Amino acid sequence: MTPGEFRLRVTWVKAGRLRWLSHLEVLHALERVIRRSKLEYAVTHGFSPHMKIAFGPALPVGTAGQTEYADVWLTRYTGADEALEALRKAAPADLEPIGAQYVGDRVPSLTAALTIALYRVELVGGELGEDHVRRVVLELMRRGELHIEQKGKTKAFDLAVCIPKDPSVSVEEGSVVVELPVRMGPHGSLRPEVFIRAALAASGAEVSAIRTTRTDLLIESEDGSWQRPV
Amino acid sequence: MTTSNLWDRLEPLLASVERPARYIDHEFGAQHKAADYRVALIYPDTYEIGQANQAIAILYDCLNAIDGVAAERCYLPWLDLADKMREHEIPLFTLESTSPVAECELVGITLPYELTYSNIVEALDLAGIAPRAADRGEGAPLVIGGGPCAFNPEPVADFFDAILIGEGEEAAGEMVAVHRACIAEGASRAETLRRLAQVGGVYVPSLYTPVRAEDGSLVAIEAAEGAPARVEKRIVADLDSVATPACPVVPFMDVIHDRQNVEILRGCTRGCRFCQAGMVYRPVRERSADTIVKATLAGLACTGYDEVSLTSLSSADHSQIEDVLRRLMRRLTGTGVSVSLPSLRVDAFSVDLARLISSGKKSGLTFAPEAGTQRLRDVINKNVVEEDLINTVRAAFEAGWRRVKLYFMIGLPTETDEDIQGIGQLVYKVLTTAREATPPSQRGGLKIGVSVSTFVPKAETPFQWEPMLTLEEVRRRQGVLRESMPHKGVDLSWHESEVSILEGVMARGGREISAVIEAAWRRGARFDAWTEQYRLNRWVEALEECGVDPVAIANRTRDVDEVLPWEHLTSGVSARYLVRERERAYSATTTPDCSFGGCTGCDVCGDLGVDVLIAGGERR
Repeated sequence: MTPGEFRLRVTWVKAGRLRWLSHLEVLHALERVIRRSKLEYAVTHGFSPHMKIAFGPALPVGTAGQTEYADVWLTRYTGADEALEALRKAAPADLEPIGAQYVGDRVPSLTAALTIALYRVELVGGELGEDHVRRVVLELMRRGELHIEQKGKTKAFDLAVCIPKDPSVSVEEGSVVVELPVRMGPHGSLRPEVFIRAALAASGAEVSAIRTTRTDLLIESEDGSWQRPV
Repeated sequence: MTTSNLWDRLEPLLASVERPARYIDHEFGAQHKAADYRVALIYPDTYEIGQANQAIAILYDCLNAIDGVAAERCYLPWLDLADKMREHEIPLFTLESTSPVAECELVGITLPYELTYSNIVEALDLAGIAPRAADRGEGAPLVIGGGPCAFNPEPVADFFDAILIGEGEEAAGEMVAVHRACIAEGASRAETLRRLAQVGGVYVPSLYTPVRAEDGSLVAIEAAEGAPARVEKRIVADLDSVATPACPVVPFMDVIHDRQNVEILRGCTRGCRFCQAGMVYRPVRERSADTIVKATLAGLACTGYDEVSLTSLSSADHSQIEDVLRRLMRRLTGTGVSVSLPSLRVDAFSVDLARLISSGKKSGLTFAPEAGTQRLRDVINKNVVEEDLINTVRAAFEAGWRRVKLYFMIGLPTETDEDIQGIGQLVYKVLTTAREATPPSQRGGLKIGVSVSTFVPKAETPFQWEPMLTLEEVRRRQGVLRESMPHKGVDLSWHESEVSILEGVMARGGREISAVIEAAWRRGARFDAWTEQYRLNRWVEALEECGVDPVAIANRTRDVDEVLPWEHLTSGVSARYLVRERERAYSATTTPDCSFGGCTGCDVCGDLGVDVLIAGGERR
């Protein structure tokens, strides 16, 4: 532990309209939440001093998050519940801190530790049947590999590595919902809506609007089990 | 009035447009208020350009503080969304309620600079409001303008029901009160406008008729019965009596001036003869050090910003600036929060101030000598001598700065090629001084930024009668400058000359320009301030279509006795003073700053019943 610094792990959500924020916009907004909360935060000692804070993996524009994390280093210990309350009061609606817990300094960083993301993908509109979606998604899984064109280059994803469990498909409020885990890592991480669009395209189907939510971020232990970082 | 929420129709479009954060509202500090009387405050450019606009932030607070009144913000959607909105028949909306602008009772549009004029038509058209006031029915919202360009609003006068000349803190509420009373009484639109014209500073264009001679020249501007013959600007006598926005909206996306802004003083009487702001915002009124420090700390706590800017036309001139900065630095050191001063004078005191707030990080300093020779600096009354500039630059580089940016203008009245070459020579001396003051090991990365704009004569200045250079002459003089400029160690940038030409027509044009703006907009003109969107040919064609000669507006020497298109409006500075200043310019005679010494006779204090207000008693 850096003497005199306390590492607070904050769980927060990105919901509603704020799903349209970019990662960078979320970072700035949360830094401002912390300043408004009046919690005493640590400042880096570099040439350009700034708040000592670290975030988990980025959420793209348009994707919501139900359980996102950030570590912030405080210079004065404030009870975790009290700190959460202060943060909550300072936050805009839909970018709300929902948990806070102190963690040790030797706990690995969020970006290094979090390798599994659970997604809920809603196919808005409802022209596609649940069975159809289930069939094409599982067919693509069985093919085992997905080639994606990115900026003129083709990137191959090994689906057994990238999507460690078969997606599940259900219907909620008239929309088909696909839930799936994605493994993040040096091999790159596959965006769930890209996977689903590819599965649908293979059967000649298309979907007009997709609403993606990251429901959880997890650590994959050596024994293969998945756990939350707090 | 009912409001319809457009969000469910808008959201599906966001996945395919750039920067959806422009359109989503929900920022910290956004005020959501249910009220019968709703005002849309429109900035006629994108969210990231307009979000930090102080006028909108001030009016947003003032109007939302009134019972029964809700003010909401609106920015012009970028081309991608605007086109999709038209395709899906979604009208222009306010952010807070995502409801149509046309459902508001009052639509306020700020006039920040001339190049946004085509965006006013774009905004009104997108909103489904007739662009011309004369075409609006009884049920249409009142469209009211205001802002820096209101001192010659004639080019856009046909688009507005009323225009506020001057400061809005007090007038905005008065206008709303008159309008609400008219609604309650069921008064007609025409009657409402007649009553609005009684509010101080309010100009109702439809009550004034330009009278032209056979040759087309303006001979008079006739006021309708009951309307003031001359509209005088509104002014707030004591800034401490009106609050600076305490907890403004904190944007999510990266916007320009993304920081807490605290206006520390209004007005500048340095008297630069080309400067419209220096004439029309007179007299100088300082906020007190206590108010500034309190507002800054409260604003930072409320917004969570990590930077505060102490804004004004000339912040180093504040009589208590050093005290303010020392007090702020005492409180902010170690918090990662920085303080910035947007406008520095060319003197050693400014470098001391910059050093006080730099806390190790020395990003760059900006100075504005404006002209290259002492003669021309005397003509424009820029009271800077070469020795000041050299000493200031030496002090800055000795204190550790490695980047300095200098602002110049070409095309100023009486300018010769020698004056232009003088810019190159001055930059060379600055560069040499900077090198000498920098340790040899650090000289490699040393850069002097030189930014050169083209002089555009503006209304209500001593140069309002002066001709602007033609496009060909601007280009020739830019060539002279390029040749005289040292190449190594200088970053030279221009203001696009084709853009300046349009600015020149807009700045001093009359009512005939409204048709030109509409014609250019029909040819696709919008976002003209975005260089990549600007096409001069659209404007040339629009001018031809409307039979308007741009040369007669921009490139002609006007007679001091001729009737100017803004003759019926006044900032309080007298024509007598402007003429005298013009004569002094021709004899290269300077005029001192009245906030440091005695009155120089611009007549603004007497005309408007206000006074220079120096918080610390005297300036140094």
